[in-house]
Amino acid sequence: MRSAHRKEIIGKIVVYAVLIIIALAMITPFLWMFSAAIKSDREVFKMNPFVFIPKVPKWSNYVDIWTKIPFLKFVENTVFLTIVVTILQLLTSSFAAYAFAKLKFRYKNGLFLAYIATIAMPWQVYMVPQFILMRKMGLNDKLLAIICLQAFSAFGVFLMKQFYESVPDDLCEAARIDGMSEYKIYMKIMLPLSKPALATLIIFTFVNTWNDYLGPLIYLKTQEKKTIQLGLKMFISQYSSDYGLIMAGSMLSLIPVLIVFLCLQKYFVEGIANTGLKG
Amino acid sequence: MKKKVISLVLSAAMIASLLAGCGGAAVESAPATDVQEVAEAVQEEAPAPEPEAAAEEVTEEAAEPVTLKWAIWDESTTQYWGDIKAAYEAKNPNVTIEMVDLGSTDYMTVLATELSGSGSDFDVVTIKDVPGYATLVQKNAIIPLDDYISADGVDLSKYAGATDQVVVDGKLYELPFRNDFWVLFYNKDIFDAANVDYPTNDMTWAEYDELARKVTDTSFGSQIYGAHYHTWRSTVQLCSVLDGKHTILDGEYDFMRPYYEMVLNQEADGVCRKYTDLKTEGLHYSAAFSGGDVAMLNMGSWFIATMLTNLASGEYDPSLCGNWGIVKYPHAEGVEPGSTLGTITGLSVTSACDTPDAAWDFVKWVSGEEGAAVMASSGNFPAIMTDEVKTAITGLEGFPADDASKEALNVANLYLEVPYGENVSEINSILDSYHGSIMTGEMSIDDGLAAMSQEVSALLK
Amino acid sequence: MEKIKETQGSGQINILQDALKTTIEKVRDEKDEKTKRKLIRQIERYNNRIDMLRSGRRISRQTRKNLVAYSFIAPNFIGFCVFTLIPIVFAFALAFMNWDGSNPVSFEGFNNFKRLASDTFFKAALKNTIIYCVGTVPLTMIASLALAIVLNQKVIGRGIFRTIAFFPYVASLVAITSVWKMLFHPSKGPVNNILFTFFHIPQDALPQWFSGSLCVISMILFSVWKYMGYYMVIYLAGLQGISKELYEAASLDGAGTWNQFRYITWPQLSATTFFVVVMLTINCFKVYDVAVMLAGGGSGELTVSATVLVYYIYQKAFIDWDLGYSSAVAMVLFLMVLIVTIIQFRGQARKEA
Repeated sequence: MRSAHRKEIIGKIVVYAVLIIIALAMITPFLWMFSAAIKSDREVFKMNPFVFIPKVPKWSNYVDIWTKIPFLKFVENTVFLTIVVTILQLLTSSFAAYAFAKLKFRYKNGLFLAYIATIAMPWQVYMVPQFILMRKMGLNDKLLAIICLQAFSAFGVFLMKQFYESVPDDLCEAARIDGMSEYKIYMKIMLPLSKPALATLIIFTFVNTWNDYLGPLIYLKTQEKKTIQLGLKMFISQYSSDYGLIMAGSMLSLIPVLIVFLCLQKYFVEGIANTGLKG
Repeated sequence: MKKKVISLVLSAAMIASLLAGCGGAAVESAPATDVQEVAEAVQEEAPAPEPEAAAEEVTEEAAEPVTLKWAIWDESTTQYWGDIKAAYEAKNPNVTIEMVDLGSTDYMTVLATELSGSGSDFDVVTIKDVPGYATLVQKNAIIPLDDYISADGVDLSKYAGATDQVVVDGKLYELPFRNDFWVLFYNKDIFDAANVDYPTNDMTWAEYDELARKVTDTSFGSQIYGAHYHTWRSTVQLCSVLDGKHTILDGEYDFMRPYYEMVLNQEADGVCRKYTDLKTEGLHYSAAFSGGDVAMLNMGSWFIATMLTNLASGEYDPSLCGNWGIVKYPHAEGVEPGSTLGTITGLSVTSACDTPDAAWDFVKWVSGEEGAAVMASSGNFPAIMTDEVKTAITGLEGFPADDASKEALNVANLYLEVPYGENVSEINSILDSYHGSIMTGEMSIDDGLAAMSQEVSALLK
Repeated sequence: MEKIKETQGSGQINILQDALKTTIEKVRDEKDEKTKRKLIRQIERYNNRIDMLRSGRRISRQTRKNLVAYSFIAPNFIGFCVFTLIPIVFAFALAFMNWDGSNPVSFEGFNNFKRLASDTFFKAALKNTIIYCVGTVPLTMIASLALAIVLNQKVIGRGIFRTIAFFPYVASLVAITSVWKMLFHPSKGPVNNILFTFFHIPQDALPQWFSGSLCVISMILFSVWKYMGYYMVIYLAGLQGISKELYEAASLDGAGTWNQFRYITWPQLSATTFFVVVMLTINCFKVYDVAVMLAGGGSGELTVSATVLVYYIYQKAFIDWDLGYSSAVAMVLFLMVLIVTIIQFRGQARKEA
């Protein structure tokens, strides 16, 4: 009995040790980023001794980044894009997913198959024709192009449909017998129930749109249209040795996504568990 | 059912319009040639004396306000774009120049995307490099200027042969307005501290290598690098074409070996920074030189203007790099000093332009004497190099005072970094890629050069 | 007038009902599956017509239902169709064409695919992509599963650990790769510094993390680090779906931790693992920005040892303007994804059967 107890304690210690090592590996780059953002170029790579916060922290890096490049413009663009895309994605895909999950109609299976097939299709396979098409529509170098690109993904429909299917059909049937229209059932019953799935979709869409690089690289050309990611990359290639500034810009670019994630994370595991994302 | 049919019809229509769009480009290029034909016809019919034609043009333009959309890069950090716009608009009050900044990082890629197919509204575009120029020519995105050149009697000889190297099938699609050539920048303080004589205007590569090794200090914490090579392939490969016997489009690259050997040996001995470090950091050459630990840097003459502006504004620390000078590029044994690489920046008129005459007038003005004066006033080298231009630049505040630096601006032979050739864009990609492989040590010099030669000659066939 | 219409209507209904009856009888006798299905559809149509006539509406209930459903789908489907489906169809066509984006298109047949065989850059890109994939998929899967199992137990600070593990996934690539490049800087970075000071590896032998063959390994390490949090969450969700009773029964039978994992956790998670592996593989084949940002340097050019398929697609399309050829490379990418997905599906189906 005692040995079993001992074994348990050793097991616990091992588990915690592993956890702490992994957590350190996960967090170190972020700590480094924070530390380097307030150092001067000479202090950045100083290792012996390594100081986390220098004696004279260079907070001015956080101010300078706004004037060295049009960072504010980049932030505006990215915020605008991310919010519009997230809202559109949520609305259209939960709307479509409701039909796929709870309504019977002609060509349902065929249409859904079209969605599923494109999930397995890497975007890069069709990015060229898509670009040509968008340019034909006059969307080249317009923020609208990125909205069109990101807002109608098959992934969102798939995720929401899986979730709605886990909601019992009886609920809808009962409402139908009460004379509720399908639109009302969607609004009054399904939408309030789908908070975890919506939260999951928000996180995915937000993270993807905020951090997208190749899409904006292809579509957004002029300076005033660029997003934070493009701006940061541009800044890095221009001011390669200004580590402090680069890190300050990177820190700033992380904050919004972290906030969104922290606000929604309590729904997150639940959302994934019920959306069939686990397979 | 209906919905399905509608969506089918819709998609069919989309595809049809897409395919039509592909063919559309051919149709669209037609008006451009029409305009030329008309212009030619006009010329033939009325070979009016030039002044009159010019006067006519002016009165015509005065009546109609014209807006020219012009593609440029890095407006905020480059002074001359604004200067040119202001000077031209002052002279032609009816013309408005609208600059669109496409950024310098992927400028030619972005421009090619903009000009592909229809839907572009640029009138004048700046051409940054020859591979990009070749792409635009192949896409019929820019128009040949020969008819305009002969009509207005532009004398191409003033560009000292630079335009000959970008002729495509007997036609010229751009006029250069900036012509940079490569020189050797050096930091006098480092040479003084090491008690070594400054580099001279007449150095062979061996002498240069020796000098670089002399000033190098590898002691930890106070490293001084005798030389610095930016990650571009030009900094190594192009040293080898300066003897005039080889070009970058040869398809056989064994002649580059001595230069790769020199640079890699220097790297191994700590004479220059490691390529892999530079690549990881993405270190910009300007940051390296202004940091005060690089003795010599081979770079284009555009860096002169950068040095002048940034030292004046306090961006660079004068105690680190304020005491600088330039000399001519080192040369191969038995070759006349002053042979160097050139990089031209040109202007073209797009085929989508509605007012090609007005656009041409702008191109002609910028690449002509008046444009040259504007360029020189900010320390940049115009395509037309005259003695006045040289005096203007050497007389600028902050330009190195020694005579050698002034003499360094006299170029004997100018070879373009990349002359025009078929497939020049693909060749450029291949050379870039294997340059990286050799410099990172992924491939030996032999293997890298062999692979380069093989790939390029396969392409040339 | 009204009456006449009504009688006309009821007359029609009678005719239809007769027809309906005969068809139903036909179905009963019919042996051929195909005609049978046809007849059933016919019956549906009759039913609809009768329904319409009875209720006096102009469109049948089913059509109305269809329209309501389509109105739900339309906002998303129209966007999806225009911006995804049509480009995909066009991408297939383009692979057999030669087009530079401006000049007229010409049909090339299989020439673009023939060119692939002798293209060293394409072969290098294909090889690197596969190596990257083979390295990343199992490592990420194992790491995320292990982490999920640990974090599914009652440990103190579980919430904090979960959040931290998800941080890298949320962080933007541009920002986080620049940190990695500092940490792994070949001559100044802390990682090599530690190797030098504590492990006494000579300066010349220090690993050059972002060039040569190490480059792909750095990419793999980075990807595992960045994406394991995401897959961990998926595994966590899967673990929470396993009934506790199974474990209780097993521990009563005296099964140890390993046996519990082997006979309960792993088989119960097979659907999740299937999903994770498919998603991971697809995402690995799609790798582009990791390569460009870690190995590309300032200008973003990749050498032969770091080039990947999507980079080559991008380069051929937007730098060389060889759109047809670029599409052909994209088709190879698509085929690879398709094959992996089919193999996975087969394996999954066999396991379930």
